Amino acid sequence: MKRIIAQMRKELTQIFRDRLTVALALVLPLILLVMYGNAISFSVTNVAIFIEDLDQSPRSREYIAAIAASRTFRIVSLPGGLGKDEALAAEVVRAVITIPPHFESDLMRGRNAEVQWLIDATDANTANNLRGSATAITQSFCRQNGLNPTAIRPAVSAEMRLWFNPGRETYKYIGPGTIAVVLALFPPLLAALAMAREHEHKTILQVYVSNISAREFLLGKTLAFFVLALAEFVLVVSSGMLLFGLRFVGDPSPFLIGALIYLFCCVAFGVMAGTAIDNQAATIQAVSMVCFLLSFLLSGFIFPLSNVPSIIRWVAYVVPAQYFIEITRDAFVRGGGWSAVLPGIFALTGLGIFFLFTAWRKMRRMQVNV
Amino acid sequence: MEALLEITPDVVAREMLTMDWDEPQTIERSATAIKIRGLRKSYGALEAVRGVDLEIQRGEIFGLIGPDGAGKTSVFQILGGVMQPTTGEAKIFGQSARETRSSIGYLTQAFSLYQDLSVAENMRYMGELRGLSRAEIQRRGMRYLKLFDMDRFTDRLAGRLSGGMKQKLALACALITEPKVLLLDEPTTGVDPVSRREFWDTLAQLSADGMTIVVATPYLDEAERCHRVALMHDGVIHQTGTPAQLRHHSGLKRLEVRAADLSRAETLLCKVESLADVQRFGDRLDVMARNAETAEAITRATLRSAGIAVNEIRAGAPTLENTFVAILRELNGEVNTPAFPVRRKFRDRAPNAIAIGAHELHKRFGKFHAVKGINLEVKYGEIYGLLGANGAGKTTTIKMLCGLIEATSGELTLADEKGGFRSSFVRQRIGYMSQKFSLYDDLTISENLDFFAGVYGVPPAERAEKMQWALEFSGLAGRGNMLTGSLPGGWKQRVAFGAAIMHEPSVLFLDEPTSGVDPLARRAFWQMINRLADRGVAVLVTTHYLEEAEQCNRLGLMVAGELVAQGTPTEVKAAQRGQLIELNTSAPQQAANLLKAEMESWRVSLFGDRLHVIVDEEVLSAIQNLQQRLRRAGIDVRDAYEERISLEDVFIAVVEQARREGKVAAED
Repeated sequence: MKRIIAQMRKELTQIFRDRLTVALALVLPLILLVMYGNAISFSVTNVAIFIEDLDQSPRSREYIAAIAASRTFRIVSLPGGLGKDEALAAEVVRAVITIPPHFESDLMRGRNAEVQWLIDATDANTANNLRGSATAITQSFCRQNGLNPTAIRPAVSAEMRLWFNPGRETYKYIGPGTIAVVLALFPPLLAALAMAREHEHKTILQVYVSNISAREFLLGKTLAFFVLALAEFVLVVSSGMLLFGLRFVGDPSPFLIGALIYLFCCVAFGVMAGTAIDNQAATIQAVSMVCFLLSFLLSGFIFPLSNVPSIIRWVAYVVPAQYFIEITRDAFVRGGGWSAVLPGIFALTGLGIFFLFTAWRKMRRMQVNV
Repeated sequence: MEALLEITPDVVAREMLTMDWDEPQTIERSATAIKIRGLRKSYGALEAVRGVDLEIQRGEIFGLIGPDGAGKTSVFQILGGVMQPTTGEAKIFGQSARETRSSIGYLTQAFSLYQDLSVAENMRYMGELRGLSRAEIQRRGMRYLKLFDMDRFTDRLAGRLSGGMKQKLALACALITEPKVLLLDEPTTGVDPVSRREFWDTLAQLSADGMTIVVATPYLDEAERCHRVALMHDGVIHQTGTPAQLRHHSGLKRLEVRAADLSRAETLLCKVESLADVQRFGDRLDVMARNAETAEAITRATLRSAGIAVNEIRAGAPTLENTFVAILRELNGEVNTPAFPVRRKFRDRAPNAIAIGAHELHKRFGKFHAVKGINLEVKYGEIYGLLGANGAGKTTTIKMLCGLIEATSGELTLADEKGGFRSSFVRQRIGYMSQKFSLYDDLTISENLDFFAGVYGVPPAERAEKMQWALEFSGLAGRGNMLTGSLPGGWKQRVAFGAAIMHEPSVLFLDEPTSGVDPLARRAFWQMINRLADRGVAVLVTTHYLEEAEQCNRLGLMVAGELVAQGTPTEVKAAQRGQLIELNTSAPQQAANLLKAEMESWRVSLFGDRLHVIVDEEVLSAIQNLQQRLRRAGIDVRDAYEERISLEDVFIAVVEQARREGKVAAED
């Protein structure tokens, strides 16, 4: 135990001796947090559209006014000489709406009026969003004008209600995920570097010669970087709450416990990587690629895991961020409590122990491997 | 981080009184401390250790000497318990090396210090790893730092200590557990002569207190201070014995020959069949032969017929280095320096053209004045040696001279230019070999050579030839695809040297080129340096090995950023006041301790098993005086005579004198 503390103290001294690294370790996550929080947004606003009104009636103008009133769309006119199709192709506009002649008269006679929405679906996600907005605007237009909604829609309509995030604020979805991704990168990277440095500078030989065991050595390292990770966690979560207006929904204790285990798991991964690769440059690449890309792509951060092919989904099961993102979303959005996060906590514990065990297997003889 | 080692006058006083060991051990020299049986170690196809048997007694200083790549480091790693042998066993006090780790102190070649931790933090960590209590770490740490005169630097980062200080700190860290066995793998590489000597005095003290010490060193004057030495070559131990036994084993006699033109005399005498060996040492040639009288006659005759004036010929006992070189030549064959493929015509220059010039050169790093007004001139074809203790400012000076760092003030001349030293035109004409290897560890040797040939603009047509030469010079022909990182230090130095001169520079800067290089290879280095100078290359070289500094045409001695002495080796030595008396005693170490206590300690030093004392009074009365003093302490003086002052004596005297005058090195 004394040796674990000695090891930990030495690591912390080294960490805090290097002011630049400490600053980077604390500031870079914040920058990432702000960047991701703002850059990644699924809400679609201010999309340029062109409306071709062939009816030129009071009703058609009302319809256009309804569209113009939505924040989603911005009506533009086409530069001279540019046709509708060309404007779409040149990405001058993302949608073209054609209001046919007789629009008003059709509506007055109780007939179905057809309005054509041509939407650029290169980006399928945005196109879907635009379609949703178009439908919503049209419905409300009908309702306001006392029209039979069936004038534009089929008779059966599903009444949808959005739970948990009724405003569909992307922040509530992305914010917690960002916290998990940022924490998945920096602590393991620093831990791995410190480990690789011992090999590169040959100081590891002195450690081998002493009678510290591999277990004590690894635990000391892990604990030191756990402390660093904890500081980073407090900083990132509090700024996240400030920036994204995140609030705990219900009991925060599952989240806090889950976070401790997640941090341990991330640091353990770094220690394992540093043990396996004894060269700092390679370590940086390996850890940043694995931690960052996997946490980004295969954690459900942006792309729901249910959409990922099942073979790749197996890989996702060993990505710690996946579990923690679920835990954070539960804490800040769903509020499901212990029962909802327990499987994730077990998985993280298992992964952390597995990482440390792997590192221990490599180190356990405390001798030069040749 | 709280201060671990607080220095209060009270603590210091107490520590001074209790400089003895915790448990005064009754020393049984006969007890076996280390027993190695049939030890073998293979790395893949390469067998580094091929059956080693050794027995080392308790309290012994045991030297493991051998050329680079002999397998010494492998033996150390196995003894330290950090590597498994392939077969065979290494037992320390009857237990496996692995089990006795806690009673082993191991100093690796790289010192294994945490550069970003302070002196105190390094010691504390090492102590705590071994499970020592804080009080104990503080007490012992204080004692060793005091002993090494480092107690002022507890808060300094290890990375900012000079080489000599790092080495002492590493030793203090290894000693803090008070190990029974101390393993030192080339501990004095890159360490200046003054620190080196202090280091060995400490070792002698530790051994007298019962510690078993195994040490590898490329410096054979150090090996003379071991109780026993083993000569290792190619993974096998060839000879074991006391230095005296090894010296006499060959049955050869040694003649010291001082003549006018040493390099020509060496070439001539080497061709004489009846002489066993001819070696150059500083300002003399050592001629080895079975019979001293006939050898002297032959030498005189040979030199006379060549018109070389002989100043002096003296018979003496062979040194360990004589023996070592002779044995290695027998085992290995002569290290032939392959002829350098010269492809460029050397430009005709006015005689006495200045290749490297500095006038009132200063360098400040913030508040620290590193170089204080240096004036020097090196002509084409001249070898200039820059000597000085660690931290004296040699490397900073070299870096300014070749334009790597900007001087704070002063005028510089380099390769006929007054400025623009970083232009490719000037760089093409200079070669620079830095103190730390400038090779890429993760490239193979050939890739490294190819890279340097490329950056220095060696024409593609010459590259293959030049690279082949560099490989042959390094003794690595046919092994070009080895990873550079896997080479022992001495070999890397050879490759780096080869890489630095492939483009045929006309000005060459060599910063400690031979540090950690074995005696045979060191010879090849100097042969090459001399050849380059003969072709008109200006060479500026630094070294801690003062015997080789005698081969320089001119020397500059730096202390604390100033050039305090300059001139030919003879001039520098002549400027030293006092006479040197060499004593051959029954107990060299005790004699040294005794005399150091009685007179200024810089006047007394151990050279191998001989004692050098610098006295100001008349020689005969001084000898009588010394004999009486030693006899009173029960030490027998076998032989005492006046000896020529060596460059090393001068160096130590000058540095000590500067210290007393208050000129202090960077870290003091």
